[in-house]
Amino acid sequence: MSDTKTRQAAQVELPFQIFAQPSEKLPPCQARCPNSGDIRGWLGIIAQREKNGLSFDEACDKAWQRLVEFNPMPATIGRICPHPCEDLCTRREKDGAVSVNAMERFLGDWGLARGLELPQAPKERYRESIGVIGSGPASLSFAYQMARRGYDVTLYDKDDRPGGMLRHAIPDFRLPREILDAEVGRILGLTKSLVRNVDVGKDLSLDQLRTDHDLIFLGLGAQAARRLHIPGENGPGVVSGIDYLRQRKEGRESACGSRVLVIGGGNTAIDAARSVRREGASVTLVYRRSDSEMPAAAHEIEDARKEGIEFRYLSAPTRIIRDGDRVRQVEIQGMRLAEPDASGRRRPEPVPGKLEILAADSVIVAVSQAPGWHDAGSVLHADEWLRAEDDGRLEEDLLAGGDDLGPGIASRAIAQGRRAAESAHAQLRGLERPRSKPARPEISRGSVRIDFYAERQRSPASRLPEGEWLSRPNTEIDATLGDRQASEEAARCMSCGLCFDCQLCFMYCNAGGFTRLEETSPGQYFAMALDLCEGCGKCIELCPCGYLEAREDAR
Amino acid sequence: MTLGDGARIAVIGAGPAGSMFSYFFLSMAETIGLDVAIDIFEPRRFCHRGPAGCNHCGGIVSESLVQRLATEGIRLPDCVVQRGIESYTLHMDVGDVEIATPLMEKRIAAIYRGIGPRSSEPLETHSFDGYLLDLATQKGARVIPRLVTGLRREEDSMRVQCADQFTDSYELAVVATGVNSRLTEMLERESGEFARPDRTKTFICEFHLGRKVIRETFGPSMHVFLLDIPRLEFAALIPKGDYVTLCLLGDDIDEALIDKFFSAREVRERFPDGVIPGHVCHCYPRINIRSASPVCGDRLVFIGDSGTTRLFKDGIGAAYRTSKAAAKTAIFHGVSAEDFGNHYAPLCRRINNDNRVGKLVFRFATLVQKARFARRGILAMTAHEQRQTDSPRRMSGVLWDLFSGSASYTDVFLRTLHPAYLGALLWNLVAANLPGSPSGNGRAEKGGHGHVRH
Ligand SMILES: Cc1cc2nc3c(=O)[nH]c(=O)nc-3n(C[C@H](O)[C@H](O)[C@H](O)COP(=O)(O)OP(=O)(O)OC[C@H]3O[C@@H](n4cnc5c(N)ncnc54)[C@H](O)[C@@H]3O)c2cc1C
Ligand code: SF4
Ligand code: SF4
Ligand code: SF4
Repeated sequence: MSDTKTRQAAQVELPFQIFAQPSEKLPPCQARCPNSGDIRGWLGIIAQREKNGLSFDEACDKAWQRLVEFNPMPATIGRICPHPCEDLCTRREKDGAVSVNAMERFLGDWGLARGLELPQAPKERYRESIGVIGSGPASLSFAYQMARRGYDVTLYDKDDRPGGMLRHAIPDFRLPREILDAEVGRILGLTKSLVRNVDVGKDLSLDQLRTDHDLIFLGLGAQAARRLHIPGENGPGVVSGIDYLRQRKEGRESACGSRVLVIGGGNTAIDAARSVRREGASVTLVYRRSDSEMPAAAHEIEDARKEGIEFRYLSAPTRIIRDGDRVRQVEIQGMRLAEPDASGRRRPEPVPGKLEILAADSVIVAVSQAPGWHDAGSVLHADEWLRAEDDGRLEEDLLAGGDDLGPGIASRAIAQGRRAAESAHAQLRGLERPRSKPARPEISRGSVRIDFYAERQRSPASRLPEGEWLSRPNTEIDATLGDRQASEEAARCMSCGLCFDCQLCFMYCNAGGFTRLEETSPGQYFAMALDLCEGCGKCIELCPCGYLEAREDAR
Repeated sequence: MTLGDGARIAVIGAGPAGSMFSYFFLSMAETIGLDVAIDIFEPRRFCHRGPAGCNHCGGIVSESLVQRLATEGIRLPDCVVQRGIESYTLHMDVGDVEIATPLMEKRIAAIYRGIGPRSSEPLETHSFDGYLLDLATQKGARVIPRLVTGLRREEDSMRVQCADQFTDSYELAVVATGVNSRLTEMLERESGEFARPDRTKTFICEFHLGRKVIRETFGPSMHVFLLDIPRLEFAALIPKGDYVTLCLLGDDIDEALIDKFFSAREVRERFPDGVIPGHVCHCYPRINIRSASPVCGDRLVFIGDSGTTRLFKDGIGAAYRTSKAAAKTAIFHGVSAEDFGNHYAPLCRRINNDNRVGKLVFRFATLVQKARFARRGILAMTAHEQRQTDSPRRMSGVLWDLFSGSASYTDVFLRTLHPAYLGALLWNLVAANLPGSPSGNGRAEKGGHGHVRH
């Protein structure tokens, strides 16, 4: 308004107005996804397909393309990820989080079934040659991101088959081999070659590789297992979770006997327990804290319980009792949780005198992973995690990512591989180093107005009948969502922080402040004429997803 | 084209028109044993504070409407209707005069359409629109929280389309979207057979002053201003608990006009220390100033503001009348263009004709606003009437009905043609403008109830 004089005369603080402006925010799912996947983006392509003139098939193809920008193995991750993205999904408060993981899997399978191809490497290749050590998710992600940018990538693995832990540890009933093979194969198809059975540090020196390639990525994983350091641990009948799972994945009988104790509370412990249960053993899982501290994914724990695995919380093994060579019993110390320490964590401490003896034929120890590489000089020291910068950089020509920086989940490994590649590409091409932090702030809790959204229940995937879980030990329990379920599930996404064309602002702004765009896409539906705005703030209060906000600089 | 058992009706919008239509329709269906279902499409929630949950209006309903609703079985509880307002105070540059309630049934009540101004503390008031919607759902209507973006005529039905791609077809579509949404504009563009209502811009805002201040400075009175500001037809401050609602009606109210209004001495003097405080919530709602045309078609009817309403006043009363007439037509006659044309459109025409008279009346009021001598005359006549208890209060009655919308404009107009009224007015015009007369110097004595005061 121009006439400030009159306003002073009236002594009115007018206008006390709330002018609106659009502003995209980071949704909670993306903020929690270790790989910062554009979940809202690819769900939106499906959910809003009709508005943008896409058929279901076209929308899924396009959503898959968006998804593989960051995650080249969605069918795999869609099966095994503990999905932190769903933990704080805004929809959770209403009628359950959006099944992001199941949707990722749906799209992953969609891409495989339709034979969709990863973004093709440009015809012009850069001259730099890239070496990648390891072929787990971190390495595959790095290789993919470099290959698609136009670099020749060679991978080296000490095993004869690629995939790292995904291949050697995760049981078939969670991740069928064909799925992994197909997705790994698709990535390798973009690279120059995979050199198998080469143990770097033993068969080939790191220095040699550094002269062969312009840049090296280390995705060594964490192949060794932590030990318990208790009497009786050495000898037959005691095996690490990783070793046990690897045997099973190779199809070898484990001879664990009929009573098995599994020590640990992470996903490895649960996988091992469920696998050995499938061999017919009765299984007890022993964990030193209480159930709420257990790091394993909640739905995995629940399924394990259904399979008849017994859980013993606040229990720590103190001694493995043998009869000659054979494991007979395990002594268990009762624990309690101490008062929270400075970091707020409640350490378990022994309860004096509370000892118990459990009968066991064998013990699987899955307490933690450890670095498993040879001492190779420079950055590689036995028993020490690698320490890299945010973008994975160790040295000028050396980057790292994945579990060799400390154990994590596969999605984080993929993220680290991607970030390292972005950084490597910038370095090699003399570009600005990419930022590792997200560009925009996370949407504040409460600015998504959940009561504007109609109730829509989660579409559950169909599952193998419980009675068949153990009798068909290698069959996947969960099915992939059907087309219809996927379409409904995508529509549940509230598009936190980005316009999804609910049209409330357009419909209710009396000033006619919103004009529909000719070409629309998720997030791009209306142009806003700021100079028409009458400052009532209605659109801001109506915008369900929190995309519209008040402008700071009220006129 | 009649509705049989199993018929489904879509009501678009849950303002008073949509909710009352649903209520009347389902009640009538019940009495004749017709099994019909109503879906009310309304994406907003009346439990949200501020403009998001509000259907923007001054919030005045006449007691006669409250009574009429009561006879329909709609008994508005005290938490919805605050019967606090006992008088009008008319403010002019030549002085103020308080006009007491002429008759008990002509009292007025204040309501909130939503649940109160932006970021207000929970009030003891409940949303008026929310209350009516609850009544409709208690009668069996179903609320669908979706935004309707289109209506398409199909062979034997109307297809409703929503922003989220939801779509469904119905045997009758009742448009009750008011004029503060773009749906009528979109329907006009798409259908090509219908002209939406003409609209103009008004202004509403809320001041938080606190109960005590309000009791002391405003009292149980609605304050109406007759000021010489071009394009301003009606201005009122309406006390509601801790808040005062300002309502400006006229022709395209804009910021320049609002500034002028706030600069007026008569306005500033209403506020503590003569300073107009910042407001907590404002909007520029649109009002209907010319009826949609036509107001009906086959399986289609426009009720409330999206059809026609009374000029400047008593919109909720008009929503009541149009919704009831439309419901009656659909139940007892049919849903063809002809049925609505014969049994519903005549009511709309009557309202439109009365609005024409209303325009005349307001034009006359504008003349008064412009002429100081006329303002003096009106002030004197009203003040005189308010001091008498036994003689007929002709001017007071005319002003009252004009401000509250309690009577039709035609009725008000005819009364101003009454010889007794004209005689009294003439006398007062002369007397009040004679040098040395009590209000002739522009300042009447300070007075209590029924007195001219300043
Ligand atoms: C039992 C188990 C269950 C898990 N479940 C899940 C789950 O459900 N969801 C999830 O997200 N994550 C899960 N994880 C974690 C996930 O598997 C890891 O985070 C991920 O595999 C780490 O990826 P990486 O590429 O860093 O390492 P890895 O997958 O371990 O791959 C490293 C690769 O490097 C090769 N290599 C190592 N050293 C050398 C060398 N010196 N020379 C040549 N090659 C070498 C290895 O052979 C291997 O192929 C699980 C892990 C385990 C053990
Ligand atoms: S509702 Fe959608 S955008 Fe919001 S957190 Fe959940 S998945 Fe993400
Ligand atoms: S609804 Fe329109 S006028 Fe009101 S703040 Fe939003 S853009 Fe401005
Ligand atoms: S109100 Fe709806 S259409 Fe408008 S910006 Fe927000 S999400 Fe988009």
